[in-house]
Amino acid sequence: MNNIIVKAERLTKVYNKGVGGDVFALRDVSLEIHKGELIAIMGASGSGKSTLMNILGCLDKPTEGSLFFEEKEVSKLGDKELASVRNKKIGFVFQSFNLLARTSALENVELPLIYSDKVNVTKLAKDALNLVGLADRVHHHPGELSGGQQQRVAIARALVNDPDIIFADEPTGNLDTKSSYEIITLFQKLNKEGRTIVLVTHELDIAEHAKRIIKVSDGRIVSDELNNSPRNAETELNKLVKEVKNEN
Amino acid sequence: MRTKRILKNAFKNLWKFKLRSFLMMIGIVIGIIALTVIVSVGFGAKGLVMERVKKFGLESLMVTAGGGVQISQMGSTGQLTATLKLDDAEFLKREIPAIKEIAPFNRKGNADVKYFEKATTTTLLGITPSYASVWDWDVTEGEFITDEDMAALNRICLLGPTVQKELFGEKDPIGEQINIGNIQFEVKGILQSKGTSPGGGDMDNRIMIPLSTFMRRVANVDYLAAIKILLHDSKEMNTTVENINSILRERHNISTGVPDDFTIITPTEVTKMAEKISGTFNLFLALLAGISLITGGVVVANIMSISVNERKKEIGLRKAVGANSKDIMRQFLFEALAVTFTGGIIGIILGGVGAKLLGVIMQMPISVSWESILVGVVSSSIIGIIAGIQPAKRAAKLQPIEALK
Ligand SMILES: Nc1ncnc2c1ncn2[C@@H]1O[C@H](COP(=O)(O)OP(=O)(O)OP(=O)(O)O)[C@@H](O)[C@H]1O
Ligand SMILES: [Mg+2]
Repeated sequence: MNNIIVKAERLTKVYNKGVGGDVFALRDVSLEIHKGELIAIMGASGSGKSTLMNILGCLDKPTEGSLFFEEKEVSKLGDKELASVRNKKIGFVFQSFNLLARTSALENVELPLIYSDKVNVTKLAKDALNLVGLADRVHHHPGELSGGQQQRVAIARALVNDPDIIFADEPTGNLDTKSSYEIITLFQKLNKEGRTIVLVTHELDIAEHAKRIIKVSDGRIVSDELNNSPRNAETELNKLVKEVKNEN
Repeated sequence: MRTKRILKNAFKNLWKFKLRSFLMMIGIVIGIIALTVIVSVGFGAKGLVMERVKKFGLESLMVTAGGGVQISQMGSTGQLTATLKLDDAEFLKREIPAIKEIAPFNRKGNADVKYFEKATTTTLLGITPSYASVWDWDVTEGEFITDEDMAALNRICLLGPTVQKELFGEKDPIGEQINIGNIQFEVKGILQSKGTSPGGGDMDNRIMIPLSTFMRRVANVDYLAAIKILLHDSKEMNTTVENINSILRERHNISTGVPDDFTIITPTEVTKMAEKISGTFNLFLALLAGISLITGGVVVANIMSISVNERKKEIGLRKAVGANSKDIMRQFLFEALAVTFTGGIIGIILGGVGAKLLGVIMQMPISVSWESILVGVVSSSIIGIIAGIQPAKRAAKLQPIEALK
């Protein structure tokens, strides 16, 4: 099939842990991600979700097995080609936002563009901030933004270079319920517009918004199922807002 | 494009982390200040030496009375050794064909001169007609001293512009009578202005009279202060110096082992002495510059290294969003360079101001040359590269996964 973005074959990741012996963070994981999917990877803490995500997102290398990104074998890419893939094809959203301090939202979003050959850097960054609903926070520094807003800046940064796939590792992990629903609403909207999104979460509540749910346990995929009736974050967000209003 | 953006980013970071940048910069700034001063003063001193040598003349040498005379004492008024005679001068001219012309002279340091109620103190020189061509020092008004003046022991004098102004103001002095000590002289000419000497003295505060008059009527001596000698060709300098030396030793009956009772000063001598003066000062500054630049470089390297450790997350993030190893390497090199280069520019400006001030204080013709700017820019950039390369290489090796820890 031509619409495969990422193909993982028998990925294994072993961490050498001196005294306690080796840790198998991933064992024999194979999977395919297709264009247009919205996938949630679920599992308990320490089950290997982040490890899998980082390898799929070309940030880390597997100990064994191979990864194909758009039919190219990642382990065979040189430093420059790999950097170019990360820059142009992949957007990454981290649990702890990872924004540069003392740097405006705009400049944070511009960061990937520094390493691209794009010319209209500021305009693209403003468009991306607009898309995540932060047009009025362009010149704010991370310290002057709420957690939800910071994560939206991080999403704008992941979006700005128009990647083929977005990986988000527990994007709502540091956020309250309302901000979480806002972020998921954003992801569902982006997915509807055709973007491929993979997100990690250990909350079923969040995972049920995805169209496919992969469960990981002890470094293995234990289930990989399509979700035929994903929840809609926007309606839940509206409900939440109403409830808050009624309480007051 | 990409490089330009990374460079811009480096300068932004310099501004964002002001304290860090400031600490990194101090050593470089001090070092470059010292360096700029050295180079400027060095060039100034060189100019000074050239000026002195030019004034002295490359084909010139001077025999002064007394052994071991330093160039700095040349104009002093101390008691002269009474062994250098006019006969010596004439004998040298006759015996050594390499000599084109001689200008024997004597001097008196503080001569009181008077014109009616106006009085001043000046340096009195007894000279011969050849003085004009040997020193390249003519009159602008009236006439120079002639052989007749010499033969007749005429009481005529030439005034330097400073003396002229003191005694006569705007009035025409030619033909007027002035008193030097208690002897009356007629003003025959006005000397060309020579400005200040390299030592800072006023060369226009002079009166010149015939040497014969000076020796017989004013000072009542039979010896000279010095003989300036002009050669046909500067190539004959060394042999002529040797010839003069042996002739004078013989004429003065100086037995072997006994030191000379005269000193021969050549252009080389003039150069050496001028260089010695600036040399000690430069050595001190060179040490200061070297030490502070090395210290500054070490500080930059250390802080850059700490900065790489502190910014592992940032580096990982940059790699995660698409920076390749070369981009990161360039970023940190540029940051080190931005610091040292900016420090260098500040150092050049402050050093330039310092050098100018020093020039005023030391009365030296110091100008901040493009050489000193070039030396400052190049050396601060080199330090930036040397100090930044190791930390930058280490930063470039970090993996994107660092951003996630
Ligand atoms: N750098 C590392 N060195 C050693 N062991 C590691 C390293 N990173 C992860 N591990 C181990 O690998 C296993 C999987 O870790 P991983 O971070 O992928 O789990 P996770 O599912 O993301 O957990 P969480 O929900 O807490 O984020 C864990 O046992 C962890 O301790
Ligand atoms: Mg994790």
